[in-house]
Amino acid sequence: MALDLGVLIQVLFWGLYAGCIYILLATGLNLIFGVMKIVNFAHGELLMLGAYITATVFVLSGFNPYALIPLTMFVLALVGIGIERLCFRPILGTGKLNEIFLSLGLIYIFQNGVALVWGDDRQVLNSPFQTISVPVGAIQLPLDYIIIIVVTALILIGLYVLLRRTDLGRALRATSQNRKGAMIVGIDVERMDMISFGIGSGLAAAAGTLWVVSGQVFNPYIGSLPAIKAFAIIILGGLGSIPGAIVGGLLYGIAENGAAYFLGGIWKDSISFLILIVVLIFRPTGLFGESGE
Amino acid sequence: MQVEKAGLYRYLTALALGIAVLLPFLAGMSFYILNVAIIMLTFILFSSAWNFLAYSGQASLGHAAFFGIGAYVSTLVARATGFSPFGTILIGGLMAAFIGLLIGLTCARLKEWFLAMVTFGFAVILQAIIASPLAATTGGWDGIGAPRLLPAGISDYLAYEYYAILAITAVSILCLHLILRSRAGLAFAAIRENEVEARASGIRPVRYKLFAFTVSSFLAGIAGALEIHHISFISPEIFHAEISFWPVIYSIFGGLGTIIGPILGTVILTIVWEGLKGFGLTFERFIIIGALLILVVIFLPRGLVSLPEEIRKWKEGRRKRGAEPGAPEEGCSRGLHPRLHLRKG
Repeated sequence: MALDLGVLIQVLFWGLYAGCIYILLATGLNLIFGVMKIVNFAHGELLMLGAYITATVFVLSGFNPYALIPLTMFVLALVGIGIERLCFRPILGTGKLNEIFLSLGLIYIFQNGVALVWGDDRQVLNSPFQTISVPVGAIQLPLDYIIIIVVTALILIGLYVLLRRTDLGRALRATSQNRKGAMIVGIDVERMDMISFGIGSGLAAAAGTLWVVSGQVFNPYIGSLPAIKAFAIIILGGLGSIPGAIVGGLLYGIAENGAAYFLGGIWKDSISFLILIVVLIFRPTGLFGESGE
Repeated sequence: MQVEKAGLYRYLTALALGIAVLLPFLAGMSFYILNVAIIMLTFILFSSAWNFLAYSGQASLGHAAFFGIGAYVSTLVARATGFSPFGTILIGGLMAAFIGLLIGLTCARLKEWFLAMVTFGFAVILQAIIASPLAATTGGWDGIGAPRLLPAGISDYLAYEYYAILAITAVSILCLHLILRSRAGLAFAAIRENEVEARASGIRPVRYKLFAFTVSSFLAGIAGALEIHHISFISPEIFHAEISFWPVIYSIFGGLGTIIGPILGTVILTIVWEGLKGFGLTFERFIIIGALLILVVIFLPRGLVSLPEEIRKWKEGRRKRGAEPGAPEEGCSRGLHPRLHLRKG
């Protein structure tokens, strides 16, 4: 089979674009994990809810959906804080299995709550830029893909500045490095839990908005698999390492779309788990994981 | 007290078995009730199998994989050879056990989340394999018909099917009970609580974990095969995440790490589920189940089984606080706390 360079670039770009969604999810999960040492397997439901909120506001108001990202992020950050307060704080420190079980409950509540309000049909939203594409070299790329990649980059830069250049960011990093130490120097770690969960949920919401505007089909059940893959990504990239999440997200996006293109669509989901399982066979703590974890 | 309680449990078990045996007559051979009861029995077996694995500290999120392997292998063998499903179920279970052993080998060194991810991923991969490359034999997404456990021509065949499945489930759970009461059960608990200490006291964690994985996937495979031969149809939907989640929900709801927990959880939640269906609820059912799950995880971490004990403790605590304020809580309750090791974190 002769490989067409144009097709290869196309697949690469799909991968980049799919990777953006994974990166946003994985970064959020990683931030929460770093600070609270918990994993919310229901993280993808926040993406799904973000998608629905964006779609609804877009249909009602007709704003450019990209302009709705801040709004969706804000709403979902509040939802995230609610989840942290009501569900995760009571079980903090009671064990990893409890988090998994609790997340299962959350998944059911969110998926079916949304299905109850919006119905569980498959929906698609048409982006205002749908028909515009930009010539890059020999191929035409949809403008939406480029905007999505740029938006993701901007969000990540924003997160970087927040974590590196502000007092809040320093406090968050301190908490994730050493919770007790952070308490000793006067950081309110429970507040940091709340904030990290809020930011993480906001990132998931941004992913949800990007999902919708890119014209992907959405229904109440879209969130679970991306979130679990995002968790696979942070296992590979190292728990708590945000650069690891970014690199892992991109690799996963590209690997998946490559597999879907060359092997057939049904392998799209399997390939990511295959990578995970193979890696874990050889490195039970992940590629960059500490042996103590 | 202890003896009294053991006696009470024996009576309750006998009572439950009695009701289970008489159910077809109590229900007047109702087609609907027998159908629900049969599915419930297969899920009791499935949940017990999951719970057995969790007892050794391994919480799988992809047990549908073994449920499905058992079902597919049994169906395909029965279709190809024409053997009675009663025989092929065993082949399905053995195949599930073998695959379970391989997955167990992968998982033996993994911790909670990693293990959950690998098992979850395995179910996803398996679904793709069954649906696409093996579509010629498995019928792909369209699925294939499975021979019934008993030919539908016999009068009251559903009742016979019910008794057959009841017997298999009861015997399997009895075996699990005996294993958990033996030294192996102690070893599982030791590994779950602290693997390093278990190893220090001469237990080989990998060996026991593999044993738990094999037994658990064997029974999950049997449960899957039983369900499919009852429904008489199978498709790759059997590997769906929801099928993996039900045994988890049932077991946590009833009481993790106890024999009675998964049974109680399955029975109560099935009744709740069917009852809510009677009210015409669809999505709300899932929301209610999800909310119940969260409430149980937060407020009743040892499940419904521990409810009487919790109430007694709560009452005692209140009485004590009334008598002398600030009195220390009574020590940890008898038996192994299923999540004791988690409290250290």
